[in-house]
Amino acid sequence: MLKVDGLRAGYGAINILWDLSFEVHEGEVVAILGSNGAGKTTMVRAITGMVRPSAGSVSFNGEDLAKKSSRYILDKGIVQVPEGRQIFTEMTVLENLEMGAFSKSTKAAFTKNLETAYRRFPKLKERAKQAAGTLSGGEQQMLAVARALIGMPKLLILDEPSLGLAPNIVDDILDVASSMARNDGIAVLLVEQDITKALACADRGYVIENGRIALQGSAHELSTNEHVKKAYLGI
Amino acid sequence: MSIFLQACVNGLLIGGFYSLMGMGQNVIFGVMKIVNFCHGEMLMVGMYLTLLLSTHLGLDPYACVPLVAILMFLLGALIQHTLITPSLRTNSFTNLLFLTVGMGMLLSNLALVLFGSEYRTIPTSYSQTYITLGPVNLSLPRLISFGVLIVISIALFAFLKYTTTGKQIRAVSQNPVGAEVVGINAKRIYILTYGLGTALAGVAGALLTGFYTIFPTAGSAFGFRALIVVVVGGLGSIPGAFFAGIFLGILETMVALFISPSYSDLIVFVTFIVILVVRQLIIIRRK
Repeated sequence: MLKVDGLRAGYGAINILWDLSFEVHEGEVVAILGSNGAGKTTMVRAITGMVRPSAGSVSFNGEDLAKKSSRYILDKGIVQVPEGRQIFTEMTVLENLEMGAFSKSTKAAFTKNLETAYRRFPKLKERAKQAAGTLSGGEQQMLAVARALIGMPKLLILDEPSLGLAPNIVDDILDVASSMARNDGIAVLLVEQDITKALACADRGYVIENGRIALQGSAHELSTNEHVKKAYLGI
Repeated sequence: MSIFLQACVNGLLIGGFYSLMGMGQNVIFGVMKIVNFCHGEMLMVGMYLTLLLSTHLGLDPYACVPLVAILMFLLGALIQHTLITPSLRTNSFTNLLFLTVGMGMLLSNLALVLFGSEYRTIPTSYSQTYITLGPVNLSLPRLISFGVLIVISIALFAFLKYTTTGKQIRAVSQNPVGAEVVGINAKRIYILTYGLGTALAGVAGALLTGFYTIFPTAGSAFGFRALIVVVVGGLGSIPGAFFAGIFLGILETMVALFISPSYSDLIVFVTFIVILVVRQLIIIRRK
């Protein structure tokens, strides 16, 4: 479904990603793991067209998206839940969700998708008329995920969903992500620092170090790998 | 008492213009985080447009308002697309400061070249008509202008609150990154916003021509007051700008009545400084 090949990207003269290659298939949860500053968010921005890659290809269902605009990529079905949530704090929960529907098809299906989103996150329905900034951190993260779901993703990218949240809330959000992959056939790219949680939910994973893929394998292989244990899990 | 009431009403009627100017400035600031230093000159352009339309097409100044709004929107959209959007990329405040201040100078000097420095008015049959309401005399053109600008203010508020484009404008002003994530076209929103802000200033100018003289620097007093309104009413807050404008108008008229008209600018700016200082002290105290 998504095939990233030799991706290079950075900001101006500073290059961050070096020849990144990985794949995500339908119905799969793939974790991209790495510590702070490894280049994870730059990778998300390069895939979603917010940063233009300097080399390499990002092919999605056979189409190269590397030079396309972020709106075009979004329209193709790659939707992200950005790092830091980036919700509209002074708008209501409902208005935030409305903003998730930008294309004709997502607007047409809005009512139906809103119901689905409310079913997954009943708290959001209770607070539909409330300003998003008054929600708790966990609820705001749920809102960011729900907003992405309104955009009808084929590939959902979660960038650091665990940041600043209580562990049980992180579990809830990851549960939703993996159930969508299993039941609705969408692919999930989970970008995380919290390796234990990410590997518990993912099928496969890639470890990024200094903008390069350092390791890859199934979730089980990675969680038993000596380097991962030492460098990331402190075992 | 009746003099006091009269001053209140006059202040309210002029304050509405400060509100309208402040709201336009606020929409622009909210979305692009730039201060539009040629906002007053846009009002002046709106005045001269109304003058042209009424002398050449024989239209009543109030009938010119929709046309002025459209033309000013197009002018604003053009300036945004060709000058401001490219400058935003430099991310430099001074760049945009020079751009908008320079644009203001260009416009007022262009008006000087095209129309000369003389004061002009658009005579109407009702310009000296007054309506007596109890102890208060209301100038008919001022009253009509105020009515129109209240309608426009409510329409603006409803537009931002309920329409998809209005919500997108708010989304970009609250969180540009979030707006990009959900696929809002920021460039389109910038053009719409600057066009809208310019149209609001132009409409204020058109509404003023019913009772105010037209000259090349007529906009500057309103431009400065728009800045005060924005700062006092709260950056980005449309209702805040509305009430700050009304407050400013009433304050000014009261000073002119009870102290002296020549002190009104002085008192207005002193009040502005006092409000800034007091607010800063409150913020420090809270921390």
